[in-house]
Amino acid sequence: MTSLRRTVFVGTTALLMMASFTNVVSASELDDVLKEARDSTYTASRLVVSVWGDQTQVSREFVERADGMEMVRKDTSWSMTGNGKTVSMGDEPAGITFLAHQRDISTSRYTIVRRGKVSHMSRPCQIVEVMEGDILRASFIVDDRSGALLLQELYAENGDLYRRTTLSDFRAYRTYEAPSGGSEVPTEVVMSEDSVLLPDTIAGYQLVDAFSAPGGSEQGFYTDGLFRFSLFFLGGNTVVSGFEDSMTFVTETGLYEMVPTAQAVRLYWRDGSNRYVLVGDLPPDHVADVLSELPIPRSRGMWSRWWSLLFG
Amino acid sequence: MAGMTPANERLSMLMSCYLDGALMPNELDEVVEALEHDETTIAEFRRLQEIRRTLRMLPMLDIPLYLLPGEHLGEQLSAYLDGELITMEMPAVLAHLDSCTECRRELGELDRSRTAVRALPGLETPEFLEVHRAAAKHAKRGMRTAVAVASGIAAVTIAFTLGPFSSEPEPTAVSIVDLQSRHTAIASVPSSGFGVQVSNAP
Repeated sequence: MTSLRRTVFVGTTALLMMASFTNVVSASELDDVLKEARDSTYTASRLVVSVWGDQTQVSREFVERADGMEMVRKDTSWSMTGNGKTVSMGDEPAGITFLAHQRDISTSRYTIVRRGKVSHMSRPCQIVEVMEGDILRASFIVDDRSGALLLQELYAENGDLYRRTTLSDFRAYRTYEAPSGGSEVPTEVVMSEDSVLLPDTIAGYQLVDAFSAPGGSEQGFYTDGLFRFSLFFLGGNTVVSGFEDSMTFVTETGLYEMVPTAQAVRLYWRDGSNRYVLVGDLPPDHVADVLSELPIPRSRGMWSRWWSLLFG
Repeated sequence: MAGMTPANERLSMLMSCYLDGALMPNELDEVVEALEHDETTIAEFRRLQEIRRTLRMLPMLDIPLYLLPGEHLGEQLSAYLDGELITMEMPAVLAHLDSCTECRRELGELDRSRTAVRALPGLETPEFLEVHRAAAKHAKRGMRTAVAVASGIAAVTIAFTLGPFSSEPEPTAVSIVDLQSRHTAIASVPSSGFGVQVSNAP
């Protein structure tokens, strides 16, 4: 009996010690972590490596964050994104501003765990993990001083790391002079609108905003609180360029044209006369789940083809 | 801010200038140094950031044009027809309509054009909206088959008659790069809340 008590005591002590190194964080604290990361001010070199199947995508760029905006400079061109706006200055200067509505979301599939303090690039940091049930979905190294995410790792359901983002040459609170010419870029303004075509939820992702898009199409913006994607519902007379060298993404529901990039995945398919494009940062298993709830790829019927051929 | 020392006050002022992008290089060094090593300064910096964000998010207070003397209702007419006027706006709009023949004429035209649009045949509904109507579809399948055959025959007849005169509408070209930049812009909007719940860590 004494031996059993000792075992229970030792076990309890060990569990308490483990608990002291592993703090569960509340939802509002996660909001703070992500908000601070978004609002952090720094300059750095950013390396993003993504793996999709047998393809690896790499992007390296110099980034500068300040006041919720991110600027990426490449040679003589630059682009700035933040607070619903993008402005790019290069061969074809263009800008777009979304007057977003963004409904509240109520999904609750993630929990957050702080794994303790760590020194990263000689800076005091902490490790924050995002769990989906028992699955590790994301691991962040957060800079204590600035709140910036110095390292982000995203995982698929099977535990495979599919995207790793690292900052180097990191200089907190350093900013450079804003480039000139931004105010002269022609900017399209897009208002949030109600949608009757887009589903309110898809595989745990919620529709938080909808907009009209080029060619009379609709764009639905979905998030589950961590990952985000846009679903473009395109009319039958819309031609989408950029999928000429696509790879095939195979799911139980069919074959999709896919172009992965370092930052996101892009998918294209058609269902009879309608066409769809999905762009987002979601993990491969989430992509398959989302596609299973959307119209499946299908070629057009004979009558439909004849009708188009004859009447357009 | 009560109880601020002159040094703190200077730093607070420098941080405001920093957020405005109006610092001299030596002042920038001072601010960065403080932000890198002093928790109180970081907290003050985040407070200033928050205040500025709140100010930016305040709605623009424009006076509606139709409340100004001599201005017509304009877009308020659509809102009136859609039943989207708020209670406070309704008396002003009705009073204007009562006295303005031009707005009454425009309202009449707008109403007639909407009636005409509503009378147009509907567009094809996407398949995933049709799921709930599957049962109804099943019941009408026999009828549809007959209609489809008749339509097919009619289509072929019309095609041979009018085909040479028809022209295919210009397709709309969309670049995936453009669609992705649209996604990136929307994804940069500060989220209103993340649905993450608390639970015990494994």
